[in-house]
Amino acid sequence: MNIISGLIQNYFYFASIVIFLIGTHVMLTHSNLIKKIMGMNIMETGIFLFVVSIGYIRGGSAPIVPIDGRGVRFINPLPSALILTGIVVGVSLTAFALSLVIELYKYYGTTDSDEIMEMRRRER
Amino acid sequence: MKLHRIGVAILIVILSVTLAGALAELPSVEQRTSTSQLTRRVIDGGLQDTGALNLVSAVLFDYRAFDTLGEATVIFAAVAGVVMLFYQAPLHPSSIGLSMLAKRSLDSIGPFVFLAGMYVVLYGHISPGGGFQGGVILATLTILISIVYGLETERRLLDPTFKTTLESSAALLFMVIAFGGILTGEYFLSNLSAGFPRGEAGSLLSAGSLAPLNAAIGLKVGAGLALIFYSMVKREPE
Repeated sequence: MNIISGLIQNYFYFASIVIFLIGTHVMLTHSNLIKKIMGMNIMETGIFLFVVSIGYIRGGSAPIVPIDGRGVRFINPLPSALILTGIVVGVSLTAFALSLVIELYKYYGTTDSDEIMEMRRRER
Repeated sequence: MKLHRIGVAILIVILSVTLAGALAELPSVEQRTSTSQLTRRVIDGGLQDTGALNLVSAVLFDYRAFDTLGEATVIFAAVAGVVMLFYQAPLHPSSIGLSMLAKRSLDSIGPFVFLAGMYVVLYGHISPGGGFQGGVILATLTILISIVYGLETERRLLDPTFKTTLESSAALLFMVIAFGGILTGEYFLSNLSAGFPRGEAGSLLSAGSLAPLNAAIGLKVGAGLALIFYSMVKREPE
């Protein structure tokens, strides 16, 4: 029961686990390469949600210092900055993976990884 | 095939149980009050150390600027890979674009998209945003042009060679600013301690090297994403 009450308190983490597992499932069960890339992106989203929610504080505001210097509670800016890096790397990875899929489609005429493996086996 | 499915199901169950068990042990939102020393240092001393109001930008372009250089390198590698893969692909000849209505609509919103992108890039150190976010907005402009007006117009307006040059020179600008720290006897990517002007907090020309670094990253990301899109769509559909 400890786990369940812990998960209800940390519902951000729970949601990120669910998103991560959906992504993993999509990546492992679909043979279409474009769907695999979508699954990878969903997995990334789960990780981003997890790391950003680590830095969240209830009632905290975005970490931008007001000019008049009022005391405000800020959320932790470090996970946000880290995840900015992560998003950019994710975009680069997606772009390169998609262009590789385009080249594969040009060569094999399909984006299905099972069919591509079958063709390669026959080629050999 | 059947075995594969069962294996995946078992893996998902094991993963979910271990992840849920581990994450349930983490402190909940109510117990977190951001008392780690590093966070205190950034939140309390960020404005003093960097002169930037936006603490995320302060972390990204001052405390962890070296990481940002690596991140820019990742984008550079991705752009280089995509452009190399499609280098010899011919330009799709019949891209004439959408209807007159869509073209006139883009005429009226295009300048504002550009303005919004430049605003997000140049004010990255004092308001939400920064080089990466603004660069993406700038890249959407070229994507809009190539969808609405057709690729040929986009290529005439913004030559791919020009975009490549822009991306490389933005990367060079970043390196020049970074070496400016060494020239003044400080470290690589030093900001205020290397003599970059602090300015008045909250004004456009403040926070030393943060604003030019933001601008360099913005141009680099904008040109890079535009190049990726251009390279991926330019080949003939089969």
